[in-house]
Order: sequence, then structure tokens, then C-alpha cells
Amino acid sequence: MATFTGYLRARSDDELVALLVRRPDLATPHPATLASLAARATSRSSLDRALTWVDALVLQVLESVVVLTSTVGPPTTAQVQAAVGAAPDDAPRVARAVQDAVALALLWPDDDGTLHVTPGVTDALGASVAGLAPPGTGDDDAPGDPLADLVDAPPGATSVLDALTWGPAVGLVPPPGTAAADTVTWLVGHGLLTRADERHVLLPRRVALALRAGRTHRAPALAPAFADAPVRDAGVVAAESARAAEQTVRLVRQLLTRWEQSPPGVLRAGGLGARDLRRTAQALDVDDTHAAWLVETAATAGLLADDGEESPSFVPTLEADVWAAQDVAPRWATLARAWLTSARTPWLVGERDDRGTRRAALDPELTRPWVPRLRRAVLDVLASAPRGAALTADDVHEALRWRSPRSVPPLSAIEAVLVEAGRLGVVGAGALASAGRALVADEDAGEALAADLPAPVDEILLQGDLTGVVPGRPSPDLEDLLELAADVESRGGAVTVRFTADSVLRALDAGTTADDLLTRLGAAARGRVPQPLEYLVRDVARRHGRLRAGAASSYVRADDPALLAGLADDPRLASLRPRLLAPTVLVADASPAELLEALRARGLAPVAEDARGAVVHAVAPERRVRARPRRSAPVHERPLPQRAASVVATLRRGDPPVSAPVTAVRATGPAGAPVDAGGAPAPAAGRRGGASSALPAPLTRGAGRGTPEPGDALVVLREAAQARTAVWVEIVGPDGRADRRLVRPLKVEGGRLRALDPRREAELTVAVHRIADVTHATD
Amino acid sequence: MPDGPLIVQSDKTLLLEVDHDQADACRRAIAPFAELERAPEHVHTYRLTPLGLWNARAAGHDAEQVVDTLLQYSRYPVPHALLVDVAETMSRYGRLQLVQDPVHGLVLHALDPAVLAEVTRSKRTAGLLGARLDETDVVVHPSERGHLKQVLVKLGWPAEDLAGYVDGEAHEIALLEDGWALRPYQKQAVDGFFHGGSGVVVLPCGAGKTLVGAGAMARSSTTTLILVTNTVSARQWRDELVKRTSLTEDEIGEYSGTRKEVRPVTIATYQVLTTKRKGVYTHLELLDARDWGLIVYDEVHLLPAPIFRMTADLQARRRLGLTATLVREDGREDEVFSLIGPKRFDAPWKDIESQGYIAPAECVEVRLTLPDHERMAYATSEPEDRYRLAATASGKNRVVDSLVARHAGEQTLVIGQYLDQLHELAEHLGADLITGETTVRERQRLFDAFRTGEITTLVVSKVANFSIDLPEASVAIQVSGSFGSRQEEAQRLGRIMRPKADGKTAHFYTVVARDTVDQEFAAHRQRFLAEQGYAYTIVDAEDLGVAR
Repeated sequence: MATFTGYLRARSDDELVALLVRRPDLATPHPATLASLAARATSRSSLDRALTWVDALVLQVLESVVVLTSTVGPPTTAQVQAAVGAAPDDAPRVARAVQDAVALALLWPDDDGTLHVTPGVTDALGASVAGLAPPGTGDDDAPGDPLADLVDAPPGATSVLDALTWGPAVGLVPPPGTAAADTVTWLVGHGLLTRADERHVLLPRRVALALRAGRTHRAPALAPAFADAPVRDAGVVAAESARAAEQTVRLVRQLLTRWEQSPPGVLRAGGLGARDLRRTAQALDVDDTHAAWLVETAATAGLLADDGEESPSFVPTLEADVWAAQDVAPRWATLARAWLTSARTPWLVGERDDRGTRRAALDPELTRPWVPRLRRAVLDVLASAPRGAALTADDVHEALRWRSPRSVPPLSAIEAVLVEAGRLGVVGAGALASAGRALVADEDAGEALAADLPAPVDEILLQGDLTGVVPGRPSPDLEDLLELAADVESRGGAVTVRFTADSVLRALDAGTTADDLLTRLGAAARGRVPQPLEYLVRDVARRHGRLRAGAASSYVRADDPALLAGLADDPRLASLRPRLLAPTVLVADASPAELLEALRARGLAPVAEDARGAVVHAVAPERRVRARPRRSAPVHERPLPQRAASVVATLRRGDPPVSAPVTAVRATGPAGAPVDAGGAPAPAAGRRGGASSALPAPLTRGAGRGTPEPGDALVVLREAAQARTAVWVEIVGPDGRADRRLVRPLKVEGGRLRALDPRREAELTVAVHRIADVTHATD
Repeated sequence: MPDGPLIVQSDKTLLLEVDHDQADACRRAIAPFAELERAPEHVHTYRLTPLGLWNARAAGHDAEQVVDTLLQYSRYPVPHALLVDVAETMSRYGRLQLVQDPVHGLVLHALDPAVLAEVTRSKRTAGLLGARLDETDVVVHPSERGHLKQVLVKLGWPAEDLAGYVDGEAHEIALLEDGWALRPYQKQAVDGFFHGGSGVVVLPCGAGKTLVGAGAMARSSTTTLILVTNTVSARQWRDELVKRTSLTEDEIGEYSGTRKEVRPVTIATYQVLTTKRKGVYTHLELLDARDWGLIVYDEVHLLPAPIFRMTADLQARRRLGLTATLVREDGREDEVFSLIGPKRFDAPWKDIESQGYIAPAECVEVRLTLPDHERMAYATSEPEDRYRLAATASGKNRVVDSLVARHAGEQTLVIGQYLDQLHELAEHLGADLITGETTVRERQRLFDAFRTGEITTLVVSKVANFSIDLPEASVAIQVSGSFGSRQEEAQRLGRIMRPKADGKTAHFYTVVARDTVDQEFAAHRQRFLAEQGYAYTIVDAEDLGVAR
């Protein structure tokens, strides 16, 4: 009969490449032979990994095939469709799930189209399959209809059985003396239930299957359809997404500007102090969690980094300058892409860790490898919902529970990711926006966002109460002007600003003149600049600069103006750059000590004075570091088809031609020695002497003795366990002597082989590492 | 609609572009639920507040209408969260109702038992609620009706008061519409109020709030208690009622510091009601002196806190609040809402002005540069003296001179805060002065002389802020005020807004000392005027020809 190894060997290169792409762990490290590939594909850890990411329907199909195989033998796809109760409309989905399972090598079809469970899958699925009791509960092989006795059953028996039919198969025994207890006793007496312990009864497999009337499942596990999710108008989604995106870009820019001017320090553990976070949040006018997210997102995008100084600070990177010079859409795309693949968990900021300390933003420990997968999974769910459907966290949770029932992310994380998506504008009004859709599809998300951004407005309505309204999204020039000279009061579809003495002063401080400012405002205004605003600008300009401040290192004061005037012009003091601020005050750019010394050298008799009042302006230097290359998320590493292809090529080199039929493969040793396919294997004797030709291929291929890879032995054992066939095993004893026995493997688990020795009619358990060689026993 | 006049911001402000074709229709549609925050020349700002939305609910609008209106007029897609919030907020009004139960009397009835459970468990309702009747009803002591409503608004579950009112003692009152008639908006205001039971009518100064009061009294035809801010105002109410209604002098009593008459219609001042002797309000019995069918509160935004407390006990009587603005400088808007009632009628100044019922006004701020010695005195003074120093700068006299000269022959009021300054100004201008010390008789004489045009210039202190009718004043010059009070600014502007016989524009001048707190306070007040849509300009005193 066919085996899984044989099946794999008969795959085309393309099919193998596809498998390695679907199950990347099979390719790392490179398997040397197809047999070792098969071994790896049937190992518990690889199967668990593969099963983790299959959806509920695929799991159901696997369960169904397992159950059907045990009752009617390997089923066809049609039988599986019937067994899971698929309506004609659902049948294609079940067929798709079967193909999926085959593509993942969890099932393999025989030449006649029947489906076989890949060795090891049954164990990986666990003891209770499809809500049935484990095999061996009750008399599984008893002949006849198990329900025949039900005709005489006391009342209530049917309802007891109904409750257990579709699983779980365990029921609580009612208190003794009640009618229900009697019913249960009757059912146990007639073999329709078995007692598990004092308090529990089990529905035996055979009975359950009979009650299910040939089905394995009540209904196919279909993906949630979100038919009830509210659908948002496309315009609303686009507007809210654009608004959020624009806001995030603006806030990140403000954050960078702020940190450029006053960079916060890095905590010893590597994060951002809570006080710095709070201050940043206040400056950006957002709450702390939002600020933490902005900081994390900026850092993820490589716009912020630890400057690595002796007392380190977080500062904008060189990349931040490039970023800041771009338009809104590409800036957003940078943030969005970084966010999607980031393994950071900003929502944990502020919560307490195991030691009770608060988690800080930018703390290196806030990285979780599963987060990028979660972000993508959440967006995938949103993308799979109808356009405009606003899904709640519960909806997404349900969908993810279906997509990977063996690994359901916690609801709180899903909620957090949805909040992040909303802030970023990937989602608008709860529905995936077109920019978000492009992001998931790895298309140009920036372009998609640009299409949703409302057309920029160049015009501002200036009013007599010193406010102004831009009736739309301000153009970059207008935005700059407003940022320079006004305070923003509210944002949304429009921007409202207020001009105050302070805001105008800010513009003047930045080097603008009153005329310049009024001209720019006049150019942008619809109608004239209102008189009160013009008056305000002129009035502030009139007061601007009435006080002057500057830097000097030392001063000299004297009551005699003539003496100071002489010093200011003295060429011997020129290097100290002395200058008169007032007839009686002179300042110099030298330290007081130098100044005093110079004056004394000129024969004067100065005295030092308390230095209070000398102004020293320390201008913080602009600091930049290069962003560290982001570590790409390991979970996203999928073997490129080329890489997979090279793996396959390696496999082929060590293997016989694919076209050869499975039996022939087994009959032909790599050394070319003919083997009698139908004959019994050569006895163990002399095998150590190098009589490898006497042993059936492929297990002795290329090696004088033993199986070339321990993994190969495992796959043969698993195949044999499933097919309930016998194998020859060579077991190395504690004394180093090999013992060859014919056994029927029952189970390979936890590094041990449990097998039946049919000749001695005894069960033996042996550590796998003691098995030097395994050979199919052909009868 | 893509080209609508309205922009809905996510911070719940609504921006209405007034030059838009549909601006008028939109304004009418959003007025019931959005509070007009400012109305400068191009874009009016409205705000959605819980009180505003509850006012709309009380007026019979539902969330769906509000949402539809926003969607209909909005230029850009309306933020979804805002729509959800509107619906959520509006659904909170009326889930609790105060009803009259035939057996148990006043009962708080819940349409949603969970809300009642939340409210009864709150500490704030302790002592206000009586026995629980069933899952949805709990007895309320009649004397706590007002307090309970206050508390429920604070808890965010405003109750709809369906418990009705006592009829009160009937008393025939009719309007005498001989040669005049209630203006259409006044009629609407009376209807709006009466339909709603109790509540507030918001009309700008000069729009005839007294007549709305008279109209409501005629409709009610019951004994009425009118609460006003001061004695002058009380006399004005009396005169107006005698002139406009079937009431005679004998039917109207004055209850003030000087007289204590209780008649079918009694006009009392806030002051007398809040007078305490030995810690007791001595005139509280007035409230129960008769079986009042209607209580009118003039200038609701000035209602003192003790009156709120007394009003809480008067919930079974119809209450009409009259005011020019719901903005209270003390932020007690929610108490007005819960104790007097929701807003029942509202018409913005500009509308009534454009209908010709109040005069257009032009506001000018005159900036005066202080001479150096005054600047030095100001710069070195204690902070608490600064405003007085700046406000009473001597140069202001010359500015007032030049302004009075510029408007020679027009009825001019000079308004100030500080008595010394006013005395000096009156002397300087050779004009009469009215302050709190002026006797009522003297005040009446001067007002009458001003009215007839016998005198054209009058210097007044803040007593003139409220409720005195100076029909032909067309110029107001304020030299000092009370620390930038917006409400005072509104009242003072109201002095000159009665429509002029010749349809002239009124002028409102504020004289301000440059670079002082005076200017800062003025900025605060002027913002209010500009927000109300008045053309506002700033000029330098030098430009008026006033020498430094």
C-alpha cells in the first residue's frame, strides 16, 4: 500500500516548493533527503505548528477524516463533505478545506482519491476528536447495531443520549435515587454509556457514531460572515481615515520638533520616563496612551532613536529630516508600514509588569514576536469583511477564533490593535479604509491615502473676533502660516484658529515682520484682513523688540564714562571684544578672570564683582543619530520560492527519480542491487558485515549499515503505526549489541516507540535513539 | 451634501458659513439643538452640548432629526463618533419622568429600570427619594422636586417634568393691543413658553422681553410674581404693564426695600428676597403669600444663588425666565436648565436687528497711550490697584470730550465703574450724574429729561447696566467696567440698541489705556461683541485728535 513518504516522493518540484512555502519550518535547516523531509513533516512539533495556523474548517475536515478512517476506511472528499453535514452550497468550501489540508501535507490523497491522514496528525489532534470519546471506550468492535436496545429504553434515555451525541461525550451522573439516575444506570447496563468514574459517564464512540447517523459533525464550521455588521458610507470611512492619518502625521511631526528642542532622557532600563511621557502628551494635547503610541510608532519608523551619548537621550534621526520634508501621504505610508510590521506593544505602556514596575514607552521589553502577525491578521479579517463593514473587536475575535482555533489572540490585544488602526487611519469609522486595504495588500498605501485626502484649501476666512476658519484641509503653505502666527482652536473638516498677541509675537520672533505677515494673511484671506487683526499685528510689532537681550561673558562698570570709552577702543583689548552697552557699562567676550587680567596688564586696578546678572545663553546643539536598522520580524520570514526551490533541488539529488512508482522505489536500492519486492527481507545476520544489498531500500541507501538519518526511521515507524503493518527494527542494547526484531509499531511519542512483538505476543517500549535501523516487513 | 454650508468638527463645534445660499435654512434647522457660541462676519460657530441637546429633546426634537439635519447640511462627512454621541446624549433625556400619581402623589417614573437603579444608588439622591414602589417607580417628596431635578441633570439623566403645575389663583389679565401688537417673534416666544410649561426665553436687549412677560401673563391669566434685578427695573415693569395690559396700578404691587405690597401682580427685587436678618431670609413668605399661577424671572443670567434655592421649592408653579444670554459668568447654566426650565425660545441678535426691531450698532475701541508719569505709576503699582489706575487714567476725560463733541446733539451715555472718575467726568462735561446713591425720584427725573431730549449727555454708574429704558440713547461711551465681564458688555450695548426713530446706527465706544490690564479686559469684552457679529474697529486716541 502507498505511504506518506511515497506520496511525497511522487510530488513534482513545484508541489514541494509550495509545501515548503506553506510550512517554512520544514526547510530550516535544509533537509538532506526526501525521507528526512517526510520525517520532519510528520514530527509532532512541525505538525503542531502547522495545525496552529489552520482554520476551523480544516481542523474539522481532519477530524472527520480521522474518524471516517477508523470506521469506514479512508474516505473520499465527497464522503467528508457529507460527514461534516455540508449543504450543497457549503460543499465547495469543504473541498477547499480538504485541498488546504493536502497542500499543508496534513492529508494526502491516494491514487484512487481516498484521503489519508498524514502520520502523526491523529496524535497531534488530541484524544477527543470531533467531540467523541477516545477510542477504546466501550466495546468499539462489538457487532450489530448499538442502538438496537434503545427500543426498550426508559423515558428520558433519548434526551440523555441527545445531550451527549455531538460532544463533549462526558456527562455528569445524576444524584442516586432519581429517575434520571435510573435511566443512566439502564443506559450503562445496555452498553449505551460507560462509567468513566464515580461521577461521570462517557458516551462510547460506537454509540455516538451510530447516533450521528454516519456524520462526524453536526454542521460545517464556516467562516463568520459579518452579515449584521453596520456598513459605513464610503465617504465617511474615507473622511475619517484621512482625518486620522493627517492628525497622526501632524502629531508625529510635532513630537519630533519638540524632542529636537528638548530631548527626553533614556531610562537606565532603556525606556522613556513616565514624566517625560506625560509632558509630551500634554504638549501634543493627547492622553498618555495615545502619546505612548505616537512615540513608539515614530521610533518604529526610525524617526527617533537613542543618541547613544554618555547620558543618553531620545532624539530625531537623520531620517526624520527626510521624512519631515515629504508630503502627508508618503509620510503616513512610512508610519503605517512600520506600524504593521512592528513587534511592539505600545498598549502595555503604563501597565505593571511582573515585578510591579510600570512599563515605560520605548522599553525594549515591550517587544512581542506575535504582534506583527496579530496586526496583519486583524487587518486581514477587516479586509475579508464586506466593504464598509464596521467590525467590533468581538467580531474580529470571533473571526480569528475561526481562522486559527488553536491560537486565538486575547481580546484585549485585538481591541488595542483596532484602536491603533483607528488612530493611524487604517480604519475609518470602524471600517477598513482604502489606504488600509492597500496596506494589507502590500500595495502603495500612500497613494491610496492621497486619493482619500480632501483637496487642500488655500483660503482662510479671517474675522473681526480675531479668529480664522480654513473651510477644509489647509494647503501646506497655509498650514505653515497658521502654525507660525496663530493658535489652532479646533480641527476636523475645517481648521479654526485664533490670533492672539502671543501667537503674533511667535511669528515675529521667528523673523517675520508685521508687513510680511499681513501680506501673507492678505493673500490667503477671502476679502480684506479685518481691521482688529491688522491692528493687533501692528500693535504687537510695535512692542516687539523693545527689550533686547544678548550674550556676554563678563562686564566692566565704572562711574567714569570716559574711562570705559577708552577701553572699548583699546587695540590691546580687541581680542576680548569689548563693547559699550551704556556709557557706564562695557561687556566683553572673555571670562571675568581674563578680563581682569587684561585690565590689570593695562595698569588699571579693577576689582572682581559678583557675577550675578551676566547672561549666558546655552543654545542646545541640534543632535541627530542614524536610526538603527530595524530588526525584521522573524515570524514574517517565509522562504522565498527560489530558496525553497534550491532546497528541493538538493533533496532530488539525494533521491531516486520521481517518476518511479512507489513499489519500484522500494525495490531498487541506490546501489543498484536488485531486491525481491515480494520476498521476505534478509535476516539480520551478516547485515553488519556490509550486506546492505539484502535490505530493502530506501532505508539503507547510501550507508553500509543503519538508517542514514534517525528521522527516516521515525517516519517509517509512524507510517507503520498508522497502517498497522509490521517492520523490522534493529535495537541496540545497553551492551552495544544490536538485536533485530519484527514488531508492529503502535505509537511513536515522546522519543519512545511502543510496539507489539507479534511473535512473542508482548508489547515493548523502546527509546527511539536505541533504534539503529528500521525496515518495512513486506509480507 | 458636498456643498453644504455647515462643517461639523469632531470637537462638537459646528461652523456655519453665513454667505452660503443655504445658510439661513441651515441656521433655522440647527438652532433648536446647537448653542450659538459666536457669530462674527463670515463663519458662525455653534456648539453641541448636552444641555443644548436636552433642550432640543424637551422641545420635541429627536436624535434622528438632529442627525439628519447635520448630515443634510454638512459639507464633509460627519464624524461617526459625534453622531453616536448625539444619539446617546439625547436618549438620556426623559428616560426618567416626574409624574403625578393618583395614589402616591409625585413619583419618579423610569422608562428604563436600570437608570432608576443607577440613580437611586447614587449618593447624591440620598434623602430626595422616598419609598420604592416597584421596579420603575419611586416616590418623590413634593418639596424635593427641584432639588431632584438639579441632581439628575448633574448625574446626566435629566428628568422630564410631566408632573404639571398648580393652576394658581385666577386673575383676569388681557393685552391692550391698541395701536401696537406683539411682534411675531414675541408671539412665538409666548407660545413656545406656554406650550412647554416652564422655561427660558432668550431675546436680545431691546427686543421687548417685558412684552413677552406681559403676553405670558395674559395667556396664564393668574396671579403673578415678577422677580426683577432692582427697583428702577421694578417701576419700569409696572409702567409697562399698566400701559400694555388691562392691569391697573392698584392691581400691581411693589415688594422692594421701600414698599412691601402684595397684590395680584407683585413685582419684587432679587435684593429684597435675598435679604437676611440673623441668618434667616426674612421675606421668604412672599413666595407663599398668594397662590401664584406664574412666576417671571427677569434677567435669569443674574439670578443669585439663594433664588435658585428658593426656586427649587417652587417647582409646582409655572416659571418663565427672560434673558439676553444663557451664558452665566458663574457657569450655573445647568441650574437654570433644571430649575427654571429648558430654553423655550431663542432668536439671535442679528436676526432681530435685520428685521428692524433693534438698531444696528458700530463698536469702536479707542486706545489711549498713557503719559510717561502714569505709565511709571502703573508699572510700579500693586497688582490689585492696576486695573483701577489704568481704567481711571486722566487722559480718558479728553477722549470722552472729543467723542461727545463728535456726536454733539445725539443722546449720549457715559458709563463707568469708579465713582471718583464719574464725578470728575460729569464735572468736566457739565453733565448730570446717576449713581447708586442717586434717589429713585431723582433718577426718574433725569431719565425723563434724557428721554425728552432736554439733556443730551448723562454720566451713569453701573446702576444703568440693567433694565432701564433709555429709548433714544444712540451713543454709549464706556470708560471703565467690571474686569472684562462679557455679560456687562452685552447689557451696556443693549442700552443703545432700541430702534432709533430715524433708523440711525448706534455707536458704542470703549476707551482703553494702552498696554495695561485695561486693554486685556477690554479684549475679553470686545471678543464678545465681535462674536455677536458687531463690526468692531480699534482706533488710537491720537487719530481722534486727542493730544497726548
